[in-house]
Amino acid sequence: MLKKRLLLLLVCMMFVSVAAACGNGKEESSSSPSASAGSSAPASSASPAEEEVTLKIIHWINEPVNKYYEEFNKKFMERYPNIKVVYDVVPSDATYDQLQQTRINANDADLMALKSGFAPIPQEWAKGAEDPLWKQWIDAGLIADLSNQEFVKNYNPVDVQNSTTYNGKVYGINMGKVSFTGLYYNKKIFAENNLQVPKTWDEFVNVVKTLKDKGIAPIGFAGKDIWPLNLAVQGLSASVHKDQGSFIKGLWDGSTKFTDPVQIEILDKAQFMMQNAIDGFMGVDYASLPSLFISGQVAMIADGTWNAPTLKSGDASLEFGYFPIPGSNDAAQNASLAGKYDMSWVVLEKSKNKDAALKWLAMQSEPENYAAFVKASGFLPNADVTVDDPFINEIKPYLSNFKLAWDQLFINRANAGEHVNGSSIHAEFLAPAGPIKTSKELAELSQKEWDAAAPK
Amino acid sequence: MYPFGRGIARHLPLALLMLPLLLYVVFGFGPSVATIFFSFTNASGLPGVDWHFIGWHNYEKFFFSSDQQERIRSIGNSVYFAFAVVVIQNAIGLWMAILLNRKLKGDAFYRATFFLPVVLGVTVSGLVWRMMTNPLGGPMKEVYSWFGAKSTFFSSYDSAFEWIIFVQIWMYMGYSMTIFLAGLQSIPKDLYEAGHIDGTNRWQSFRHITFPMIAPSFTVNMMLSIIGALQTFDIIYVLTGGNFNTRTLAFDVFRDAIATNRTADYGLASAGAMIQFVFVFLVSVIVLIYLRRREVEL
Repeated sequence: MLKKRLLLLLVCMMFVSVAAACGNGKEESSSSPSASAGSSAPASSASPAEEEVTLKIIHWINEPVNKYYEEFNKKFMERYPNIKVVYDVVPSDATYDQLQQTRINANDADLMALKSGFAPIPQEWAKGAEDPLWKQWIDAGLIADLSNQEFVKNYNPVDVQNSTTYNGKVYGINMGKVSFTGLYYNKKIFAENNLQVPKTWDEFVNVVKTLKDKGIAPIGFAGKDIWPLNLAVQGLSASVHKDQGSFIKGLWDGSTKFTDPVQIEILDKAQFMMQNAIDGFMGVDYASLPSLFISGQVAMIADGTWNAPTLKSGDASLEFGYFPIPGSNDAAQNASLAGKYDMSWVVLEKSKNKDAALKWLAMQSEPENYAAFVKASGFLPNADVTVDDPFINEIKPYLSNFKLAWDQLFINRANAGEHVNGSSIHAEFLAPAGPIKTSKELAELSQKEWDAAAPK
Repeated sequence: MYPFGRGIARHLPLALLMLPLLLYVVFGFGPSVATIFFSFTNASGLPGVDWHFIGWHNYEKFFFSSDQQERIRSIGNSVYFAFAVVVIQNAIGLWMAILLNRKLKGDAFYRATFFLPVVLGVTVSGLVWRMMTNPLGGPMKEVYSWFGAKSTFFSSYDSAFEWIIFVQIWMYMGYSMTIFLAGLQSIPKDLYEAGHIDGTNRWQSFRHITFPMIAPSFTVNMMLSIIGALQTFDIIYVLTGGNFNTRTLAFDVFRDAIATNRTADYGLASAGAMIQFVFVFLVSVIVLIYLRRREVEL
């Protein structure tokens, strides 16, 4: 009998401890910074101003950049010994989107990386379009206003204005521009076959034919993940269109159509590039694309300038360059790269460590730190820092007239069908990648789905 | 008379039950009921954003938006996936169980090997098959080339979905096998002896002794594989990310709730989850009633 009583007591205790643990959990999560400060009381009690805080940063996996931040965080913690930085990285796919969502909901992050600047900017003429996520976050009061911070002035005002300003306020720090409308080319293969960087579409066709005749696979795509394949289509779009912005506006008011000759031309040229890509390109995932290029299995790959550090680290002796895809036969029109404002940092409004987060951003904006970042990331800088990087110096001529790529300008309609959803560029449906035989059929489907999604 | 003692100790079993019950209500039943509730709201999952009741709007949106064709295709894919997986997985599982039920040399090894994919889990199995089917030098490419064929496997609009079905079956056939094997081992040997004396051949003894005797494990296997197949989205996520016409109803729910490059829509995802629940519930009940009746008849 006594044993049973004891057992009962034990069970009751278990209940109480579980209930207590639940209670504790809540308390801790709502006041984690002060709790962690309390746990190391001796240090913090000496000088209350130097309260111990844990700065939580979330980011995605990009090896060269992650390495830079690990170094930078070390330096930061040396300068501010009371701040402990926790830097979490996850894969850049849906995993990161999910992490952003859950950490915002749980108020469990202080600094958060966004995958780009604020784009596309909502427009009057795009009625009924879904608000981009960053706008929803700002409107919900989740992102801190940085307008009055001194360190914002360390970046070019034009870039700050174009990348992270919304309604006249600065809500983030953009780390630089990238371009993705070009092709990497293997300089050795080009030299061996007496090939020059093509400046017009005809020259490009000639390069492709020459390589193919020699038994070299001209182009590599990472088709499995789909978006890398469509980077090339954006390259064609940027050079075939004279003005992408007004064409997109026209799509909304009906004055232009996906079936217009200019769009068919882009799809036809995309089809040509796919027909001349390495066998099985639709099975290549983005992570394998660099090795395809480094190993010399293909002469060119469609990829963004952000991947140059990866190519370099893969084989230091590899000589490669980057040129804009020449979609038209007008060399001047083909001469510039398009792209986007890449990663931005935002401070979460509800963060209890805002001060620490601002210190972190301020230290990062110091010229030598930012220059080191630019070097590591391969981004095109938003501040006048000198970057000793042969790759960036080589593509500089293409950047004097930097323009935004199609996916930064395009505003979609809600519930648009799969042939036009997202940023509307979908060469993956076109043969030989997909089931649709001709550009015209794909364009007609896109237009049909676009019309069906029109606001009623 | 008092199996749990007298006095306060009598309540011990109930007290012990309370803890798991509490956990179930808080983490299982509660959220399920909340899903019904959320399916009638426009909750976006963003903290601090107002949301309110919008009636049946999410359900309307699910079936009648401009991208409805894709959603209907997803439901079709779910049915196709479930049918193919249930039939083939159980057929192979049963066949392997019968083979391994005999006294074979090293049968423990075979059992462990066939069960291994279940232990590996979805991500590892997915990666294994992604590597196997790498169109640039993967072993499957080699096998295809013997027959002069070419495929991009998981990136092919023609066959990606069938490849996912294949991997799903490969992963879970060991599971079906184990349940069948347990059923087979509980059949008394004298039934076969009696049959043997009466002159049954192999097929007859399978048809009239083995099959009726494993009816309960057959029911369990059918139910588990139907429910499992209709709820599958993880292997699709790992293998194709829902591209190449491989979305199913369950994948769409995941996509709406945790979306890439677009705003998450908890309301719509909850409505999708409810539609899926009704669908799975109806199919399971019909199949269960049929199989139970069959068990009784036998």
